[in-house]
Formats: sequence, C-alpha cells, structure tokens
Amino acid sequence: MSFKDILSSGKFVVTAEVGPPKGTDIKEMIHHIELLKGKVDALNVTDNQSAVMRICSMAVCKICLEHGVEPILQMTCRDRNRIGLQSDLLGASILNIKNVLCMTGDHVLAGDHKQAKPVYDVESVQLLGVVNSLNNGKDMAGNDLKGSTDFFQGAVVTPEANPLEPQLIKFEKKVRAGARFFQTQAIYDINKFKDFMKYAKKFPVKILAGIVVLKSAGMANFINNNVPGIRVPQELIDELKAAGKEKALDTGLNIAARHIKQLKEENICDGVHIMAIGMEDKVPTIMERAGLL
Amino acid sequence: MIITKKRDFQELMENIKNYKSFFLIGCSECASLCGTGNQEAIDALTEALKAEGKEVEGGFVAKTGCQVLGTKTELKPFKEALDKTECILVMSCGAGTQAAVEIFEDKPVYATNDSLFLGNMTRFQFFDERCSLCGKCILDKTGGICPITACPKGILNGPCGGCKDGKCEVSPDIKCAWVRIYERMKKLDRLQDLCDNALEAKDWSSSIKPRTLVTRPDKKEEKKK
Ligand code: SF4
Ligand code: SF4
Repeated sequence: MSFKDILSSGKFVVTAEVGPPKGTDIKEMIHHIELLKGKVDALNVTDNQSAVMRICSMAVCKICLEHGVEPILQMTCRDRNRIGLQSDLLGASILNIKNVLCMTGDHVLAGDHKQAKPVYDVESVQLLGVVNSLNNGKDMAGNDLKGSTDFFQGAVVTPEANPLEPQLIKFEKKVRAGARFFQTQAIYDINKFKDFMKYAKKFPVKILAGIVVLKSAGMANFINNNVPGIRVPQELIDELKAAGKEKALDTGLNIAARHIKQLKEENICDGVHIMAIGMEDKVPTIMERAGLL
Repeated sequence: MIITKKRDFQELMENIKNYKSFFLIGCSECASLCGTGNQEAIDALTEALKAEGKEVEGGFVAKTGCQVLGTKTELKPFKEALDKTECILVMSCGAGTQAAVEIFEDKPVYATNDSLFLGNMTRFQFFDERCSLCGKCILDKTGGICPITACPKGILNGPCGGCKDGKCEVSPDIKCAWVRIYERMKKLDRLQDLCDNALEAKDWSSSIKPRTLVTRPDKKEEKKK
C-alpha cells in the first residue's frame, strides 16, 4: 500500500528520515534505509538540510525505491528557481517518486556555502500550488503538460511557534494551496499539542507529529535556547538529568516511545514523523518500545 | 537614497597604483548624507593621497553625480586641472562613477566607494534597507512593510519555520518581517485580508536589468495633438 493509501486507511502512520551524505560513499546511508525497510511507512529524504551541500534528495529517493522503501521527496525553494523546481518535480514523477514535502528551506547563511546566492523565487505556499498545478496538467505559466504528475503533497508546520497566530495563518494558506499532509516540528508537550490538534482537525489534512529523540539534558537545554519553535518542558529535562549520563540516551528513547504511544492510544493525530538526526539505527528501538513493531 | 561605504584604502591604492595625478568628484546628494562624497570626505582623501606621494589636481562636490549632463557642465571650469589629471576618482555611488566614465571617454575612472543599497536614514548616518526596487510594488498587500526586502528569503507568505520569538532565523538583530506584517495588519484590522489572500509568486520580469524609463512627454507627439 502506498503512503497515501495507508494514511487514508486510518492506520497510525510512522515516517522517519534519511539525510543524504556529503560525498559519494553511501554505504552507511543504505544500511539505514535497509534497517528501516518494512518498519516505517515512508522515509523523508532531506534536501541539503540546514543549507549544507550534500547528495540531492531525488537521487536518494530513487535509491529508497530500489530498496523497497517509499520515499518522501523534501523539496526546498532555496536552491532552484521555478524552472528548476518544476523540472525536478517532473523528473521525480517519472522516477515514480509519489510524495513531495514542500518547504521554503533554511537560509544559505545556516549552511556551509555562505557565499551562495539564495534563490527563493517561490516559497512553500506557492510551491504547494505549483505541485497542485502539475497534478492538474499545467505548469506554473499555464502551459499544458504532456502527461501530468500524481503527487501526494505535504508541508511542515510548527505547532509551538512563537508568536503562533502568524504560523497558523500560514498553515491555513498551505491547506488551501493543496497540502494533504503535514509533518510537524518536534513536539514535547503532548497537552499543548492536543490544543493544536483540536484546531488542526478542522481541516481536511493528515497530521504527523514530529518526534526528535533527546540524547541528554544538555541537548534539551540547547534546543530550548537555540532552536526556533521547539520547547522541551522542564519535567523532561529533569527526567533526563535524573537518569544520569549513562542512562540519558535510553531515557530519551523511552520519552520518545512514551509520547508516540500516547499519541496513538489517545488517537491524537494521524501518525508520527521520527527525526533521528544521526541515530537512525535507534528508530526500530523507539518503535518497539512504543509497541509499533 | 543610495547608501555607500568607503572602500578599503589599501584596496583603492592597489587599484590606482599606476597613476600619479588625480581629480576627485564627490556628490551633494546621497553620498554627502552618507559622508562618503561630501567636501570633508574629499579633503580627507586628498590628504591621504598626498601622504602616499600622489598629486591631487583638484576636486569638487557635484550637485547630482549620477546626472550625466549636469555633471559635465559643472566640470567645465575645472578644464585646466582635468587636463593635468591622469585618473578620475569618483566619491559617490556606482551610478555616479559610471556617469564619469561616460564623461571622461579617455581617462581611467575609479570608484572610492562601494554602493550598498537603497536605504532610509533612520538617524544621522544610520541606514536601513527597505525597498529592493522590484518594479512592481506589493506594499498595498502587506500593510506597507516590504517582505521582499525585510525578509532575507523574500517570502511572500510568511513567517518561515525559522522565526524564533519574533526574531528572524538569519539574525536575532532582525525582527521577523512577517511578524511585523502580521502585527501591523492586526492594528489596521486587516488580518482577514492577510489570511484570505495568499500572495502569488512574483513576476520578476519587471526587474530584468538593465532597466530604462522615459517620463518626458514626446514633443512631436504633443504637437500633433
Ligand atoms: S514591493 Fe518592496 S521592493 Fe518592490 S517596490 Fe515595493 S517596497 Fe520596493
Ligand atoms: S524568520 Fe521571518 S524574516 Fe526571517 S527568513 Fe523567516 S520569514 Fe523571513
């Protein structure tokens, strides 16, 4: 069953993420893809994440398909103008890549080529519209396509953005522009997330809650001070501290599993998106502890 | 106005190392307000050049350095000094420099400033970029705040996920343009507008370079009428 069909079937969906490496040695990446095969419902492939130059998302999506894993092509607007984006979307379509996640993309100043010219000819809301249009047989300029695409398009949302209202206005614009599913920024406060879901349920879209494993209390504090739109509650930081250095990671895995379990059991959202960030091999453990395997 | 910044002196000296005698052209408009092309700036550069063993044959502050014909007329009284000059130094913006290039067909012309942006002066010699001269203004849709300029990504439907506590992803010194737009639209009671109308991708054909514009009515056409 395709990712789209699984989502509409009502099953609690799990997606994870693979970050293409910088360079042509893909042994480790393939190992991660193999490890997650048959366990997750789809794998996001990041697009030069954090504006750090790496293998392109499309090539790795193709490799996922070859290994029997359904990919979600992440597509940012930072590096390609509307011609490049549409051309890549057509290319992805003929490679049988069905899912695309439309994002604006981190600024080049966040990455390792700070001298680059940022493009942003269009942004996430507009890119969703472009995908919609290609699905309907027309390009952005209104020209007819010889064969249209059939993408299942998604977007991202930050439920704990501060201030929140501008973020929600944008969320609604994304829904109207054709987003069918959303993967959220990492969430740690389930009660707060429930409030967001109460609001989001009004819209005909599927929501996958973002899960990022906390490796230590230090990491949690770092997130709170530096990462926009994520808030780790003090109780979790205390829990990690109490576990001590040795057990911190294990506790972090437990927290992630516990959250996933609650999200599923209380039917809070449609699934989760686990961003392991360098700990892809831990995803099966989290899933096991959450009772998903 | 056009915001300019003095180039590094050593870099300038490297550029002009083959010339001995100079004539300096400032500008009374933007470059004067920036302190890069006023009389004081000319005097200071004259001193610095002399200290490096160069000769300065003369200099003056042009009324509007980017106006080719006007500047050419203003230069007439300086003919003698200009004849002795090997190299022209322009102390205004890139437009002023290229006006001089047009005027001095057979003399080398060098810019002493870097031209940065179209800016507002917020306090004396404090400058902010607020308009990127995109050619098709959308301020009427964004509460009068330009996202093309104020947002480092030029996002037309923001804010992006990088907005942290109202500050921009790119620098904590910048307030997120889309939070500013949101706050202003809220004050103007126009939030509904903002929600309902996603802005379309911009038509960049209105800013293809080089742009020209003629606003003077065509005399012959006028007579016919
Ligand atoms: S939209 Fe912005 S860049 Fe374009 S003309 Fe208006 S203020 Fe200038
Ligand atoms: S934080 Fe705001 S101003 Fe900065 S890039 Fe994102 S939308 Fe633009």
